[in-house]
Amino acid sequence: MNNIEEIVKKASEQIQKAQNLEAVEALKTQYLGKSGEITKLLKSLSEYSVEEKKKIGALLNCAKKDIEAEIEKRKEFFASFETEENMKKERTDFSSAFSFNFPKGHLHPISQTIEDISAIFKSLGFETAQGPEIETDWYNFEALNHPADHPARDIQDTFYLEGMKNLLRTHTSPGQIHVMENQQPPIKVIVPGRVYRNEASDASHSSTFHQIEGLSVDKNVTFIDLKSTLTLYARNFFGFDLDIRFRPSYFPFTEPSAEMDVQCFFCKGKGCGVCKGTGWIEILGCGMVHPNVLKAVKYDSEKYTGYAFGIGVERIAMLKYGIDDIRLFYENDLRFLRQF
Amino acid sequence: MKISYNWLKKFVDFKSNPQEIADILTFIGIETNIASSGFNWTKVITAKVVSVEKHPNADKLSLCLINDDTNDYHIVCGAKNIAAGQIVPLSLIGAVLPGGFEIKKSKIRGIESEGMICSAAELGLAQKSDGIMVLPENTKVGVPLETVLEPDTIFEIEITPNRGDCLSHLGIVREIAAKLKKPINMPIIKQAYRVSVINNIKVESKLCLRYIGAVLTGVKVAPSPKWLVDSLEKCGIRPINNIVDITNFVMLELGQPLHAFDMSKLASNKLIVRNANENEKITALDGKQYSLDNEMLVIADESKPIAIAGVMGGEYSGIDENTNTVFLESAIFDSSSIRKTSKKLKLMSDSSYRYERGVSWDICEQASWRAENLISQLAGGHLEKREDVKNIDYKSLEVLLRLEKIEKVLGYSIDEQKVAQILRFLGIDLQPRLGVILCSIPSWRNDIKGEIDLIEEIVRINGYENIPQTDENQTKKSIGINSYFPKIVQSFRHRLYGLGFCEALNYSFSEIKELEMFGLKYQYKIANPVSKENEVLRPSLLPALYKNIVNNIGQGAESVALFEYGKIYTDIGERKTFGAIMYGSLWQEWWDWLAKGCKPQYDFYFGGGIVKNILPDKYFSISENLNPNPYFHKGKTAAIVYRGKAVGQFGVIKPQIAKDLKNEVFYFEIDVEDLQSFYEENPVIFNPFSRFPSVKRDISIIADADIPFTKIESVIKKTAKSANILKDYSLFSVYKDAQKIGKDKISYSLRLSYKNDEKTLTDEEVNQDVNTLLEKLNQELKIKLRD
Repeated sequence: MNNIEEIVKKASEQIQKAQNLEAVEALKTQYLGKSGEITKLLKSLSEYSVEEKKKIGALLNCAKKDIEAEIEKRKEFFASFETEENMKKERTDFSSAFSFNFPKGHLHPISQTIEDISAIFKSLGFETAQGPEIETDWYNFEALNHPADHPARDIQDTFYLEGMKNLLRTHTSPGQIHVMENQQPPIKVIVPGRVYRNEASDASHSSTFHQIEGLSVDKNVTFIDLKSTLTLYARNFFGFDLDIRFRPSYFPFTEPSAEMDVQCFFCKGKGCGVCKGTGWIEILGCGMVHPNVLKAVKYDSEKYTGYAFGIGVERIAMLKYGIDDIRLFYENDLRFLRQF
Repeated sequence: MKISYNWLKKFVDFKSNPQEIADILTFIGIETNIASSGFNWTKVITAKVVSVEKHPNADKLSLCLINDDTNDYHIVCGAKNIAAGQIVPLSLIGAVLPGGFEIKKSKIRGIESEGMICSAAELGLAQKSDGIMVLPENTKVGVPLETVLEPDTIFEIEITPNRGDCLSHLGIVREIAAKLKKPINMPIIKQAYRVSVINNIKVESKLCLRYIGAVLTGVKVAPSPKWLVDSLEKCGIRPINNIVDITNFVMLELGQPLHAFDMSKLASNKLIVRNANENEKITALDGKQYSLDNEMLVIADESKPIAIAGVMGGEYSGIDENTNTVFLESAIFDSSSIRKTSKKLKLMSDSSYRYERGVSWDICEQASWRAENLISQLAGGHLEKREDVKNIDYKSLEVLLRLEKIEKVLGYSIDEQKVAQILRFLGIDLQPRLGVILCSIPSWRNDIKGEIDLIEEIVRINGYENIPQTDENQTKKSIGINSYFPKIVQSFRHRLYGLGFCEALNYSFSEIKELEMFGLKYQYKIANPVSKENEVLRPSLLPALYKNIVNNIGQGAESVALFEYGKIYTDIGERKTFGAIMYGSLWQEWWDWLAKGCKPQYDFYFGGGIVKNILPDKYFSISENLNPNPYFHKGKTAAIVYRGKAVGQFGVIKPQIAKDLKNEVFYFEIDVEDLQSFYEENPVIFNPFSRFPSVKRDISIIADADIPFTKIESVIKKTAKSANILKDYSLFSVYKDAQKIGKDKISYSLRLSYKNDEKTLTDEEVNQDVNTLLEKLNQELKIKLRD
């Protein structure tokens, strides 16, 4: 029965050389058909003894499977070849596949900036709080150590509401007072939100804009903490390669007060149009919470100290994205919104 | 405020250049920029003219040999006034003159010139000049020109509202001196002894704290000398005459506003400082008439007011060329009273600006003497009488400074000696005791009211750059709310963003007219808007979002889909609100769909699908909108319900409102204020699913048009429960056609999805369930299967 092996070998070679499906089918008939070579041998099994029958039968079945497998393989080859040929015919200009504009959503640059800034403060252990926009004089001014009839109020042109004593908050700082009234130290919060100034709008002024207030109050919170935390924020937001500086300034509700500048990230401090040639960009105002503010919320100003800061969101977004007109943020022109 | 560099130098002996002074001031909290500088050139030196010869090829030119002590330069010069022996400014090759004019090597009529001898005009030092600039004979040769000239630099200084004491050259000098630890050289101020007392100043109001009056006779009013004119002009004040100019000069120098009256124009010799009478009128120096009230302070003669105290003098008592006797006022008025008056009258002056921020008890007197001295010197006036009326007993404020508190606030310690030195240079008198320093605050520092203010002074002068940095103790873990956006809003935003919506932000204001168009009422009106667009607070996000759509369509957009999160202001207060608006084509045109005639637009159904898509869980549903917002199409609106409570509405905007737009505008608004308080994120718990295949059946049914679809849905849900094999359904067609299905009828096509969790379903089982459902629908709602 040596020739079984030979038959399989010969069949395999022929199948592999078959040039088309018809040829494969013909070979299938030649070996496995009703009068095919393997079929014939199977039929002749009756001539053998029981023992031999078993043995040769097994061999023949094996041979049959091998040949069938070889045939299938060759058929798949032809099928795949045909698909390949069809794909060549279906060839489409790939560039037209890039021209269907599935509607794409965009988040507003102001919310993105709020979220980016918040994420950094979140990582520094700050919670987020919010306060009302319609405020009383007490929260917006008095509690924040702005005495009545003080020129400090001039910086902030206030919207007053008709028929009531309320006003629209001019800064997010009243958020500090609400937080401290509702909670005892330790406090570490940011208060993002809308604020209002009663002024005609132009490229750099808007009656509505956003601020992020920050407040940290506890025992032993110091100016060092303020400087360190805000430096960490600025580095994370603007880049680790930029210098940061603090200058003394004045806010009624902080003492000592400071402005934080970051080296201009457009010119890296050389001086350019964005930084007006100074090499520095004003980023935020900050300071140690004034004892009068702590007293206003009935905190013991001998026991607790704290720092506060305020960031103008529009200003940061304008710098970050190179936007030169604040009104663009509120026009909601799709040609603007789709850039972010 | 404009401050002159040269003027500062008269008070303190410093070597710092203008840029260094600007930096010093900025770093102690006085933002200073150089507004204009005389040094607008580079590479211009002083040099001596050795010889002058005629140019061989030009009559009007000379060949000059110039020497700067080391090198010789051959210069071609056209000036007539050039002569050997002169010392002149020479711009070398490569010099840049004002206006960016660069000096290059050049041949003039065949002869090379190695630079240019400059005129004052070419250096920007004069408007016009005749010939070259000739420097004094003893000028050093071979040095940069700017080192031998004294061109002034003008600073533009921003003074924070707490620092009224800095509103003068002296004020700025005090700051520089404190930082540089240098003494201040005050101008010589002579105080006359034995001047007779006027005895006719009557201070009747508590709003005047001190009033110093001086009578100067024999005054000759004339134009001021050049130095005085220059001093004022540099600081942006228009010179008028010597008397008025002196009062302004002293104000710029010492910070005390002064006022001069012409005595002869007064109705009486008696001067009264009193509150104005109600409706009393005065014509001020600006030529305008002001109507006063009794909270305002005036200076008056016996018949009428001659000045609005601290704000502006009256026109009729002003100094003119015929004035002979001058009454000079130096006074202290209550700051907040001046501020109120100035605000009410809408009248600001250099004087009111300083009074609002507070003036000094001591400087008030010094300024009076200083001006009297100058009037005598420059206008020949003689101090005849004088009176100093003190309405309060002034004592300087004493503040206790604890050394330990400094460290407590700052987080690091500053040496006691250094602390004392800083405070002394700020003019604060010290009495050190054990661990504390008793500080006596000078009268000009009205911003220092307590210990914390002293601590600021110390850290400010010591320099913020010297504050060490560490990592703040970050032990406190962040807990609780951690986003500007409430969770539910964050979920809306992200889903809509994924669906191709853009986020909008609009102003919080509306105009009343605009609201009327939407049938909306405002709750909060702005009492003092500067512009009409800030009339009222918005009671809905819709008007602005609608305007956004119209604007974008007007700009050629084919479709606009926007959402906004912000506050609206209604009769129940300010409410966090989420809204979205959509209009136009769903997708851009695509050839394959166009061929099939498919061009879908945002409409009621699609909008409803968007709402369904973004609502996070099954506890949200919709129901009939029983109380639709006035802007919704009455037939195309629904209420959004969360756990049984209405939290929002959606629908199509009324055609009357959206008449300019071709297609339906879909809008929804959700009241987040309420929702965020009881919304709970539905925890995700895995639900095992069956791997047996599901079977789909499509049915079309015909119902009475007035049956809401939600009723049909509830029958479906109820029926599905019994056999528990109808797992899901969806509506894929809604159809109305009176002829085909009958009047007042509506057809719905539903796709039902069947599945048995334990085995493969047979057709029979499914058919049976469909039939049961149809029977139920027929029984309960008279719904029939469509043929």
